[in-house]
Amino acid sequence: MRVLFFAQLKDATGCNAVELAAASPLNTPQLWTELLQRFPALAAHRPNVRLARNWEYAAPDAIFADNDEVALLPPVSGG
Amino acid sequence: MEIEIQLTDRPIAEKFLSPGQPGAVGAWLEFRGVVRGEENGRTIRALEYEAYPEMAGREIRRLLQEISARHPCRAAKVIHRVGVIPAGETAIYVGVASPHRGEAIALLAEFMDRLKQDVPIWKRGARNAGLRPGANWKTAENVPGRRPALQPLSLDEARAEIRSRSRPLPAVRTPLAEALGRVLRETICAPEDLPPVDRSTRDGYAIRADDASKTFSVVDTIHAADWKPRQLESGEAVRVATGAMLPCGGLRVVMQEHVKRDGDKLHVVRRENSTNVRLRGEEVRQGQPLVSAGTKLNAGALAILATVGNVNPPVSPRLRILHFTTGDEIVTPDQTPKPGQIRDSNSILIRSLLQNFPCDVEQGHLPENFEAAMSEIAAHKPGIESAGVLLVSGGASVGEKDFTRALLEQLGFEIVFSQINLRPGRPLIFGVNGPRVAFGLPGNPLSHFVCFHFAVATALACLTGGEPPKFLRGQLAEKLDDKPCPRETLWPARLEWNDATPRLHPLAWASSGDITCLTAANALVRVPANCASLDDGAKVDFLPMAAMIGGG
Repeated sequence: MRVLFFAQLKDATGCNAVELAAASPLNTPQLWTELLQRFPALAAHRPNVRLARNWEYAAPDAIFADNDEVALLPPVSGG
Repeated sequence: MEIEIQLTDRPIAEKFLSPGQPGAVGAWLEFRGVVRGEENGRTIRALEYEAYPEMAGREIRRLLQEISARHPCRAAKVIHRVGVIPAGETAIYVGVASPHRGEAIALLAEFMDRLKQDVPIWKRGARNAGLRPGANWKTAENVPGRRPALQPLSLDEARAEIRSRSRPLPAVRTPLAEALGRVLRETICAPEDLPPVDRSTRDGYAIRADDASKTFSVVDTIHAADWKPRQLESGEAVRVATGAMLPCGGLRVVMQEHVKRDGDKLHVVRRENSTNVRLRGEEVRQGQPLVSAGTKLNAGALAILATVGNVNPPVSPRLRILHFTTGDEIVTPDQTPKPGQIRDSNSILIRSLLQNFPCDVEQGHLPENFEAAMSEIAAHKPGIESAGVLLVSGGASVGEKDFTRALLEQLGFEIVFSQINLRPGRPLIFGVNGPRVAFGLPGNPLSHFVCFHFAVATALACLTGGEPPKFLRGQLAEKLDDKPCPRETLWPARLEWNDATPRLHPLAWASSGDITCLTAANALVRVPANCASLDDGAKVDFLPMAAMIGGG
């Protein structure tokens, strides 16, 4: 699955996006485990980050599958 | 509804044509959010905006659709600029077209608030934009996890967090008899003109308004409940009662005292200037808003809804509130406290303050031992899961704050803040868990009283979709003597009205445990930080209580 980073999360990870190969679909805690292994710097942001799956905010019980587009969204500040 | 959404890296045009089908639109409202050139005393030359375009467009559309279900809208155009935007230039343009201005204004206000919470767009100062990793990304007002939860917030910041994190619960259709005090969630408009036909305001005789005859034949009699439409010819009159529906438009009523009647013949002796007719639509025209969304329904509003036959209006649900006291030193009020114990006054205080909101309250007590408290909570599990609001009164013990905080976290609440720069009420905790909110209230009754009025009441208003309590401007009726405090103070006061000026008498209180002043308190005066005293006559901000917790 493709995982996108925005705003300060780009700074934390040093990239806009990453391809995550998961053997099976992941729930939210599993997704975070994968991400934190690769980008430990994300840990500090985790309490403030909302997850999106296929361009919608993901429910806490969402399952992230291989062909999903996942995004990590820090607190927004548009307008 | 026509919706147009654009994200662009080009400047936004100066002018747009008004959208919407001609005829269906009574209000065309435009808003431009402009990059400010200054913030907190620092010059800003430009901001850099970044968006997640695919999702931002969808979120904007979803918000417009959701909000327009409550505030009707015919067309909306939203343009957000991204990239580097110089100060003074437009970052966002929103235009909405609605049947009535109230709907357009409400829609736009709510849309902008929600956009700043939910639409994936970010900004930061452009001095270092794109150059330095870790440059400060701004987080807008009221967004989740804006700062470390332990950092104390100002009173205004805390209220802003509460407002944005307490989302309106879904509306329920409710019979009028149960709707008192609930918040109306949809603007109710007049289904027809009121009154629906011309009516007489006198006992007398209806004649054509343009009829100059002196003598008339009486061709019919109309009682108050009769509906007998007919055209009147010149020289014809109809006997009518007060309140009777006139048989056609264009009539006037001559009072019975101003005629002589002789069988079917009528002689008009005197004509007044008044037509003695209440015209169709005089009170309300068809389609005119009668009661706006967000109104807390009082007796009068319910009477209006009954008048137009709206017997099951969509309103806020009855809130479910669960309140726990904590602390091993607490005994019930009917017991005699042993040395070191105190009677529980918070339970009745909270229960009574909640009477002003339509809600069901369940109360319990938690032992100070964390494991024991969790097992007690387990007994209330179904209550906690269905309760919209969880209130925990801290005990007086040293570790109370951590105890409540740990408890709320264990129950799945995200702690939004756990300290406020405020006196009394500094260790107030606020948490959210999905649609539910929780407060950890500092243990003493005065802090409870203050925190309830500025914080809990704000959350309850927002959960019901109503207006949160607002600070008003008033004048001190006597000198407020204080020693300087580095925190803001909400000072209990007695509000009285003198010649339309709210005058506030500060009440004496020595410590946050001092509750004798609460009998008289009906307002909280806001005393700025580091302010030693305020003179008699000084202008102050205050939160009135009667308006806030009464019938609205």
